[in-house]
Amino acid sequence: MRRRRTIGLAALGAAAALALAACGGGSSGGGSGSSSGSSSAAGFNAAITKVVNPSNHKGGTLTFADSSTTDSTDPGNTYYAFSWNLTRFYTMPLMTYKSCPGQCGLQVVPDLATGPGVVTDNGLTWTYHIQPDVKFEDGTTVTSSDVKYAVERTFDRAKLPLGPNYFSLLLKPQKPAYPGPYKDRSKNIMGLKAVQTPNPTTIVFHLAKPFADFNYVVAIPQTAPVPPNKDTGSNYQLHPWSTGPYKFQSYQLNKQTTLVPNTFWKASTDPQAKQLPSKIVINWNVNANDLDNRLLAGDLDVDAAGTGVQAAARAKILSSPTLKASSDDPISGFLWFAYLNTVVKPMNNVHCRMAVEYGANKTNQQTAYGGPVAGGAIASTVAPPNVLGQKHFDLYEATTKPGGDLAKAKSELQACGQPNGFSTGIAYRSDRPKEVQAAQSLQAALSQVGIKTSLHGYPSGTYFSNFAGVPKYVHNHNLGILMGGWAPDWPDGYGFFDFITAGDTISPAGNTNIEELNDPVVNNLLNKMAATNDATTRNSYTAQIDMQVMKQAAILPEVYAKSLLYRSPNLTNVYVQPYYGMYNYAVLGLK
Amino acid sequence: MITFIVRRLFATIFLLIVVSMITFAIFFLIPRLAGQNSYELATQYVGRNPTRAAVLAIEDKLGLNAPVYLQYARFLKAIVFGTHYNSGTSTTYCPPPCFGYSFKTQQPVWPQMVSDIPVTLSLAIGAAVIWLVGGVTIGIISALKRGTLFDRFSMGLALVGVSLPIFFTGLIALELFSYKWPIFPNVQYVSFSTNPLLWARNLVLPWIVLALLYAALYARLTRAGMLETMSEDFIRTARAKGLRERTVIFKHGLRATLTPIVTIFGMDLGLLLGGAIITEVTFSLHGLGLFTVEAVQNQDLPEILGVTMLAAFFIVIANLVVDILYAVVDPRVRH
Repeated sequence: MRRRRTIGLAALGAAAALALAACGGGSSGGGSGSSSGSSSAAGFNAAITKVVNPSNHKGGTLTFADSSTTDSTDPGNTYYAFSWNLTRFYTMPLMTYKSCPGQCGLQVVPDLATGPGVVTDNGLTWTYHIQPDVKFEDGTTVTSSDVKYAVERTFDRAKLPLGPNYFSLLLKPQKPAYPGPYKDRSKNIMGLKAVQTPNPTTIVFHLAKPFADFNYVVAIPQTAPVPPNKDTGSNYQLHPWSTGPYKFQSYQLNKQTTLVPNTFWKASTDPQAKQLPSKIVINWNVNANDLDNRLLAGDLDVDAAGTGVQAAARAKILSSPTLKASSDDPISGFLWFAYLNTVVKPMNNVHCRMAVEYGANKTNQQTAYGGPVAGGAIASTVAPPNVLGQKHFDLYEATTKPGGDLAKAKSELQACGQPNGFSTGIAYRSDRPKEVQAAQSLQAALSQVGIKTSLHGYPSGTYFSNFAGVPKYVHNHNLGILMGGWAPDWPDGYGFFDFITAGDTISPAGNTNIEELNDPVVNNLLNKMAATNDATTRNSYTAQIDMQVMKQAAILPEVYAKSLLYRSPNLTNVYVQPYYGMYNYAVLGLK
Repeated sequence: MITFIVRRLFATIFLLIVVSMITFAIFFLIPRLAGQNSYELATQYVGRNPTRAAVLAIEDKLGLNAPVYLQYARFLKAIVFGTHYNSGTSTTYCPPPCFGYSFKTQQPVWPQMVSDIPVTLSLAIGAAVIWLVGGVTIGIISALKRGTLFDRFSMGLALVGVSLPIFFTGLIALELFSYKWPIFPNVQYVSFSTNPLLWARNLVLPWIVLALLYAALYARLTRAGMLETMSEDFIRTARAKGLRERTVIFKHGLRATLTPIVTIFGMDLGLLLGGAIITEVTFSLHGLGLFTVEAVQNQDLPEILGVTMLAAFFIVIANLVVDILYAVVDPRVRH
């Protein structure tokens, strides 16, 4: 009797569990619901050069997931590439990137503006006209004052500390310095004198000095219009006022964002975006491996971060022809490299730095970063291939002798007066496993030519602010080699090289020119780039700067980073936007 | 009993203050003693552009340049009296208990924690019911059938359950029952009020995975306790008096065994209510455990302080409830 009752209870429990499994439908929060590989795939890397599954089919819930969170959904306060990609759902900055695959996608084109900036006053004045019939999500018409206010917000670094600060650097300063619109609002709203709005559809920027890349600067989401009466300061991230095809329905911080169609958006005013899904859901803080498994199972559509699948999923994808045919391995736009400091002795001698260039084992560095698929292609130039004007060259045999050229390394050591090698430190971010491996690999390779290195790991949160980016610290601790990575804020040579190679960017804290290069040829070329409006001429300087930086051996390029992305077969209009190095989110739809 | 409860509540408040002081010291004071100044601390919250002006602005805004004791006093005052916060366009009042504003998101910490509590409660209580019922039942049967195949098998299984970490069993469970055979697909938290069936369905795997570890412990604990108790003289007396075996086992044997089980259950549940970190991370459930992980990763000090104090509160309250339950379980305690 007792046994029967026990067995009965156990059976009841099991039945309840199975009944629950049957209830509630196939998916609980969106997601397309069907498993991967159910339709014919377009082929490996198909989305790098063409649009996969082109379609204007509407409907469905497009589901994203991210293993972390965004820095902010406020377009004025974000600096992550994937976040800028996502803002295209709900913003229209003055300019944007053309929605097309391949090199085409590196072109900056008008978005809210009717055309690129009209440049006058010897490059000091940029005038944009905005489309007269773009509306916010409540039907009010966007005016130039809303764009000016959006720019003004970026000046208050206490309220909006996370986004770029180009406007405060480039615009003509005023005295006293403009504090932003949050202090003394009655006085400071529309108080930025360097930006004028002579009429509701015209906005004029006055620069401190000529800057030919200004169209790229206004393509950053910070120029997405913000109506002053809808701004809620640090709370604006909870509901940015939309001008894009979608608007915020709800945002549970760090959990889930839901977007629904913006009924006041018109496709004719925003040809770079589409309004196809009925709803967009973004789930934040999903376990990374769980996210990949859901992606492969068809329970979600896109990994929002766009930095590629984890190791376990990568192995599954690469070992399955079906899954591999639904994946892409684009260059992300990031370069992983080592800064070779030009001040710390004896690295201040160019031949000692050249010894490091020849001595490094590029194949092992590539392996450290994840191999040719997950890590990237061995780099021989500083600029990755998706920087406008980049040209291939190979001064130190990175691609012809990827294992290193020890004979030439030793010859350079002779030339720098260190025939038996020398000692220096390698700095790296200790909580980044790939960077740790890369530092160890570099240490091992250089030891073969007599360059003895000590490893110094630092937390990534303070690596640039407190250690590698503080020249005094670098000098005092003999850090001749510092690991790092870089991607440009815009895809031309100036956007890539200025912060990391210009002499005038060396600063006592938060330094980005960590090799402390102050080369007159590089500085002069960068100045010419900034002042040259003609794109062809400007882009021709990219390769020249690259060559000069490499001649100075100021940077040891390691890999042009790649990410293995899985392309859900249920997605339409899928292609890699080369500026972001991930799929273009603004045009995605569902079958 | 009332006096006892009041005394314990006062002790709880004192304990929470001590916990807050220790946590504050760990995250605010020790870095200072190690040489980190407030400017260096502020650079972590300025994103990719740590210009001097931006860092100073954040340092001032977050109050990091004030003396540590003043920062602590402000923190305590906000918990008791609330505080005002300027978002830029308006000043809002953060009512007590106000655990301050996240350094990263600049949003109040308490509402975020409150929204995570139902997830952790659902996970912890559901798993607790399973492990308590399952573990104790198996322990009783094993004790009564000592030496049999059932006893050996169940204790062996308990050993396996104790040995396997949650992140392992969780991943296996997901791989098998969520991806390979989608019996429980797309596991994510749905609130009970939204859809009770979906709420339960999506929690079955996390419940079982979490309960497996604890059930194993409770099975072994119950078995050991029952074996000891059932050999006592009063059990023999009860049988000699002609009581039914069921009455002997449950009214006399189990009741005496329950005391240590109740103690440990209180501690375990209290700990879990502060966040079942590994389970929540494995299944991406946005409870207090995942909140804790994010807070530590972001070095978001107000969030770290808030969740630490909340976890301490749950543990203390759980132990208070356990102490009260003693009087119910063991009449000797009442006198």
